[in-house]
Amino acid sequence: MRVVIGEDETLLREGLVLLLARSGLDVVGLAAGGPALVRPVMATGPDLVVTDIRMPPTHTDEGLRAALEIRSARPGTAVLVLSQHVQRRYAVELLGDRPAGVGYLLKQRVADVTAFCADVRRVGDGGTALDPEVVSALLAGARRRDALEHLTARQREVLGLIAEGRSNAAIARRLTISEKAVVAHTSHIYDQLDILPDEDDHRRVLAVVRYLAG
Amino acid sequence: MERARPLGPVRAPSARSLRLALAQLGLTGLLLVGVEVVLVLPSETGPAWVLVLFPAVGLIYLAAGVLAWVRRPSNRMGPLLAAGALFWLAAALVNTGQAGLVGVGLVAATVPLAVVVHVLLAFPSGRLPEPGSRTIVAAAYVVTVVLQAPLYLFAGTPDAPEELTIAARPDLVALGGTVQSIAGAAVVAATAVVLARRLRAAAWVPRRVLLPLYAYGIVAVLGVPISANVLAPLLGLDPVALAVLQLAVLAGVPVAFAAGVLLGGFARAGEIEELGAWLGTEDGRRADLGDALAATLGDGSLRLAFWAPERDGYVDADGVPVELPAPGADRAAVRIERAGRRIGAISYDPTLIADPELVATAGRVVAIALDGERLTAELRASRESLVVSRARIAEAGDRERRRIAQDLHDGLQARLITLALRSGWIAEYATADPALRDDVAEVRAGLDAAITDLRRLVHGVLPALLIECGLAAAVEDLADQMPVAVQVDLSRLEGDLAPAVESTAYFLVSEALANAVKHSGAEALTVYLARDADRLRVEVRDDGIGGATPSAGTGLRGITDRVDVLGGRLTIDSPPGRGTVIRAELPCGS
Repeated sequence: MRVVIGEDETLLREGLVLLLARSGLDVVGLAAGGPALVRPVMATGPDLVVTDIRMPPTHTDEGLRAALEIRSARPGTAVLVLSQHVQRRYAVELLGDRPAGVGYLLKQRVADVTAFCADVRRVGDGGTALDPEVVSALLAGARRRDALEHLTARQREVLGLIAEGRSNAAIARRLTISEKAVVAHTSHIYDQLDILPDEDDHRRVLAVVRYLAG
Repeated sequence: MERARPLGPVRAPSARSLRLALAQLGLTGLLLVGVEVVLVLPSETGPAWVLVLFPAVGLIYLAAGVLAWVRRPSNRMGPLLAAGALFWLAAALVNTGQAGLVGVGLVAATVPLAVVVHVLLAFPSGRLPEPGSRTIVAAAYVVTVVLQAPLYLFAGTPDAPEELTIAARPDLVALGGTVQSIAGAAVVAATAVVLARRLRAAAWVPRRVLLPLYAYGIVAVLGVPISANVLAPLLGLDPVALAVLQLAVLAGVPVAFAAGVLLGGFARAGEIEELGAWLGTEDGRRADLGDALAATLGDGSLRLAFWAPERDGYVDADGVPVELPAPGADRAAVRIERAGRRIGAISYDPTLIADPELVATAGRVVAIALDGERLTAELRASRESLVVSRARIAEAGDRERRRIAQDLHDGLQARLITLALRSGWIAEYATADPALRDDVAEVRAGLDAAITDLRRLVHGVLPALLIECGLAAAVEDLADQMPVAVQVDLSRLEGDLAPAVESTAYFLVSEALANAVKHSGAEALTVYLARDADRLRVEVRDDGIGGATPSAGTGLRGITDRVDVLGGRLTIDSPPGRGTVIRAELPCGS
């Protein structure tokens, strides 16, 4: 998998390069600023772009803008965006209406090298990865919705993991329950949230996140 | 504040009462004159037209006195001349032929001359300033009342009525007459000396008015004895002609002196009372104060100067520096002080206002208004500078907060993340020793927790979203985080806002929403933000139990202070049981 990395913090950038390379990815481009990110991507056409949101010149949301630009210019490119704080609106913006190949993680997740690399691969393969803190913020905000009150605690956990972009198998592993149980939970959740059951894991993330974000 | 009205239409209530009283006095006097005319006409002591002249002169005194009194209420010349009329009428009773009245007339026969001396020395204010002049006037009355006595006590009937005569002693009458003449001459001489001294002290223009008046008064007083004892024999005048001559001379006195008071530009003391009343009812602004003073004192060139301590000099109503006239120049100045502190000064034309004490009095009247105005201006200036400095401090605080948040975010947090990454790497790839791996994994977890704490700290100091994306985004985020549904209306929020305004508005909404969620049990919350031309309006509404106050527990006190410092306003409308509305207005320039 070919990756372009965007990060203005030098030490962190080098750490990411080492990490992803160690994990078997092919780093084909580096950038330290928002506009500077788009060029190598257009030039080298990677499978995945990993970028910080806050970058020069304005240090607001250059990385996000660049990611969206890349997504619209080259729809097949996966994008994993790293942020130092939780911003639900960024997640919603990134997902747009195509949840495939989208990731939004807190930067500190890189320290859990195994999990991080797994997430990177998942996104690169077309899956979704939303930071658990983002998801719990979404869930907290939506607790007012009556529908969520009809879910059991376990079902809420499953909902959260769905929003993170995990597959049924991953959810089953995480909660140490059977995959069949997971499926049962998810169909109940779909009923409650009035979401059409969809085989596609990606679309269900979008539906759930849309629901939670109001 | 209304514009100050000109002095004319304002009349103190005492003025109206005075007019009423003087109208009554005038009518009463007129009645007395009429009665005396009726009494005098049938008498045989002389031709009717001559006899009528006496009460007529009394009427002139009365008219002049009442006129001067009503036009110059606090000037004593009016009352003096009116009193003089009374003595005139009394003296004229000698022609009535009725025994009792004649006696009164004899007693009061020469008192009118003393009145003329009194009028002379009391001009122009109606008061006797020097102790010397008071003595002279007293002596004049003594000479005309006491020293008159021998002339009727020893006259013998039929020249004097029985009740007033002791014996017929022509020698004593002659002696009394001589004594009276000498004493009278002495009084007149003393008067002349005093008047001469005053003339010398007066400036040129008042001297021009005073000299003829004083000369006329002296002539009038001396004229009676001189005309009787010298002129009459010299010119062979018969008694009627003599009487007419004397009457003519004496009749001019009230006219001349009343005219002097009214037209001579002297002593407008009565209007100072009106000035005081005017000041009490109006807002004495600086420019109007000078005009009112000039009108009151009758000097169009009068100027009011204000003491400006910061310049250590005087300025006029517009703040332009002015110099006071030097002593001896053709303008004079009087300083106004209050409680030992310099407040201002009045410069005027000394030829139009003879009495500096009058100017000083007027100055004292306006001093209070001036002082009050100065204190108000000082208070306003200091309050303004206080407001400005508070706003500066608040802005500085806000800038610091932003700087800290950004430093922490960019610097410290980034470093911790890098450290966490390195420790994660070490734990995963750099060693096969399980114990070591576990240890390092613990370090990594610790760092992770520290990063999370730091993240939350930064968020509490100043949310990154507020800095990065502005107020609208931050407020929407806040609303999303609430466990209760919040409706947000930001449709009228546009344009850039100053950082301090954004922070304050953000924390206000945050605090208000937190309170509503925590305390009010509300089910519906709304947040409304709108930008008018130069104000940001913030409104947070809930339908909970109400009863919110900015007490210590709710954190609204701090927000109120922040809003206040920015020059804004915060209101809490929270009737118990009917929900809460928190409204704020923050000025934000245009």
